[in-house]
Amino acid sequence: MPKRRDILAIVLIVLPWTLLITVWHQSAIAPLLAIRKDEGAEGRREAGGQDSKEYCASDKDIVEVVRTEYVYTRPPPWSDVLPTIHIITPTYSRPVQKAELTRIANTFLHVPNLHWILIEDSQRRTPLVTSLLRETGLNYTHLNVETPKNFKVRGDTRDPRIPRGTMQRNLALRWLRETFKNNNSQPGIVYFADDDNSYSLELFEEMRSTRKVSVWPVAFVGGLRYESPKVNAAGKVYGWKAVFDPHRPFAIDMAGFAINLKLILSKPQAYFKLRGVKGGYQESSLLRELVTLNDLEPKAANCTKILVWHTRTEKPVLVNEGKKGFTDPNMEI
Amino acid sequence: MLGEVSSISNLLEEEIATMAARMKLKLKTVFVLYFMVSLMGLIYALMQLGQQCDCAEHDLPKDRAISRLQEELYRLQGQIRQLEKAKQPEKKQPPKSSLSTIFVITPTYARLVQKAELTRLSQTFLHVPQLHWILVEDSPRKTSLVSNFLMKSGLTYTHLNIPTAKERKLQEGDPSWLKPRGVEQRNEGLRWLREDRKTEPGDNGQQGVVYFADDDNTYSLQLFEEMRSTQRVSVWPVGLVGGMKFESPVVEGGKVVRFHTGWRPSRPFPMDMAGFAVSLRLVLANPDACFDGEAPMGFLESSLLKGLVTVDELEPKADNCTKVLVWHTRTEKPKMKREEALQVQGLGSDPAVE
Repeated sequence: MPKRRDILAIVLIVLPWTLLITVWHQSAIAPLLAIRKDEGAEGRREAGGQDSKEYCASDKDIVEVVRTEYVYTRPPPWSDVLPTIHIITPTYSRPVQKAELTRIANTFLHVPNLHWILIEDSQRRTPLVTSLLRETGLNYTHLNVETPKNFKVRGDTRDPRIPRGTMQRNLALRWLRETFKNNNSQPGIVYFADDDNSYSLELFEEMRSTRKVSVWPVAFVGGLRYESPKVNAAGKVYGWKAVFDPHRPFAIDMAGFAINLKLILSKPQAYFKLRGVKGGYQESSLLRELVTLNDLEPKAANCTKILVWHTRTEKPVLVNEGKKGFTDPNMEI
Repeated sequence: MLGEVSSISNLLEEEIATMAARMKLKLKTVFVLYFMVSLMGLIYALMQLGQQCDCAEHDLPKDRAISRLQEELYRLQGQIRQLEKAKQPEKKQPPKSSLSTIFVITPTYARLVQKAELTRLSQTFLHVPQLHWILVEDSPRKTSLVSNFLMKSGLTYTHLNIPTAKERKLQEGDPSWLKPRGVEQRNEGLRWLREDRKTEPGDNGQQGVVYFADDDNTYSLQLFEEMRSTQRVSVWPVGLVGGMKFESPVVEGGKVVRFHTGWRPSRPFPMDMAGFAVSLRLVLANPDACFDGEAPMGFLESSLLKGLVTVDELEPKADNCTKVLVWHTRTEKPKMKREEALQVQGLGSDPAVE
C-alpha cells in the first residue's frame, strides 16, 4: 500500500508540470497569434483613417493639402461583407511586361476584396511573374495557357481579326467555374482588365453592386475620346454611342463591363468565341450568351463619367541593344 | 531506482507532514491545495491559447481570413527585413520617429492621356508614406482638371504652374527628343521648394529627398524606400531607356566607376531623370543649381548634377545597381481619327466629359 501511495504522490506532483510543459510548447505560436490580432486591428483603424480629410484654406496661387499621416495597409484587410472582385488579366512576355504589372498591382493594392487572376500566354509560368505576384501581397491565382502560333498576332500589328488574350480569358472563366460551384453563396464580380489600361479606384466600387452585367464608358477606344452606352431617362441602356460599328450587339470594350459571378456560374457554356470573330465583336460573343440589352445596369453616374482609360504603352525603342544585346541579359526588367 | 524514488517521496512526505503539522494543517489539505493551484495555472494557460482551440471549430471564411492575414504578416515581416537591409549604415542617425520626406517634382501638360497618367501615378504614390507631390503644370493657368484631381487624390501635394516659352515648346510634328521638356517646370518646383523651406527653420525641415518623376514612367514601391536614405545624390538603373533594356551606373567596391549606357556615354552624368535623387540638404545648400534649358540633348540631367556632386560621391542603390526599380515607359498617343471625322460633322463627343 505505501508503494502505491508513493506512486500516486509522484504522479500527482509530476502530472501538472508535464501538462504545463506540453501546453507551453504549443504556446510558441501564441505570440504570433497576438501579433496577428494586432495587425488586423491596426488595419481596420487605418482603413477608417483615410476618410478624414483636412483642407487648408490657403491663398489661391498655391494649393496645399496637408493630411493626417496614414499609411494604407497593403492590401486592405479582407471584409466578410463586400463581394469579391475577380479580375481576369491576360499577359504576355515583352519588355514592358514587368513595368505594366508593377503599376497595375500598385492600383489593385488599394482595392479591398480583390482577387487577381493573372493568365500568362506561355508554355510555363515564368519566374518573373511568379515572384512579382508573390511580392505584391495581393490575393492572386496564377495560370497559364499558350496561344497556338497561328492565332497569335503577327509582329506587333494590332490586327483586330485575331483577338489576343481570348484563350487566356476563357481559361480563367473555366477556372472560376471549377472553383466556385453554383450553390456557393459567395458573392463575386468578374472583370476583364488588361495590363496596360488605367483604372480609377472609383470604378471598382461602382462595379461591386453589379447584379447581372453592368456597363460604363471607356476612354480612348474606337478611335474616339470615349465610347459609352446610351442611357435613357428610365436608366436603361438602349444603344451605343460609338462610331466603329455601333450596331454590334454590344458595342463596348473589354474594360467597359463587369459580370456577376452567379451569372457566369449559371451559364457554364458561355465563353469568348475563339474563331471567326470579327474585329470588335469579341465582347459581344460572350455577352450575348449572358444578358440582353435590357438587363444591363449603367454605372458611373448613368454613364456620364470616365473611370477607365484604354491607354496603350509604346513599344520601347531598343535599337542600341544591337544584334547581340548590349545589356546584361540576366537583369530582369 | 523505484526504491530510491520512493524513498525520496517518503522524505518529501515527511517534510511536508512536518511543515503541515507546524501550520496545523492536514497533509491531505496541502496536497489538495497544491493540485488546485497547478490546475488553475493550467486552465489559465489554456485560456491564453483558447483562441487556437476555438479556431478548429470555426467555419471556412474565418479560416481563410486568418490564413490571409498570416500571409500579410509574413509579407510585412519580409518587407521589414528588406527595409532593414536597404538602409545604409549612417553615422548621424536621423530622428527615428519620422521618415524623411520625399519631394517628388512632376511636370505635366494637358493632353488626352493626362488624367489617366496622373491617376495611375497617384495610385502608386498613395502607397508611399511621407511623400509630398509637387505637380507643376505647363500652362499659364492652373487647370480645373488637375486641381480637382489633386483634391480628390488623397495625397499631400503642391500645385504649381508655369508655361514653357513658345520657342522651347515642341510643335505638333516634332519628335519627342527634339527639345528638352519640363525644364521650366522642374526649375519652378525647385524654386518653390527652396522658398518653402525657408519658412521651416530647424534641422528637421532640411531633411528630405528630391526626386524628379515624369508622369508616364512606372515606379515600383521599393524605389522610394531606397532613395529615402540619400545623403547627397543617389543613383540606380532605369529600365527601357536610352534605346536599351536598361541604363545603369556600374558599381565597383561600392562606388560608381562608370556608366553603362548606349547613347553618348561621354556625358558627365549619362543617366535619365528617373535614375537619381538629390538630398534636400544639397538642393538648399546650392540655391543656384537648376536645369539648363539650353543644354544639348541628353545633357539636361548633367546640367543640374555637375553643380552638386562628382561621380565619385554618387551613392549606388538598388542592390549596388543590380535591380531595375523604375521603367521609362511612354504611353501611346490614342488614335483619334474617328473623333476628328465626327468633329468635322459637328458630332464630336461631349467635350465637357473629362
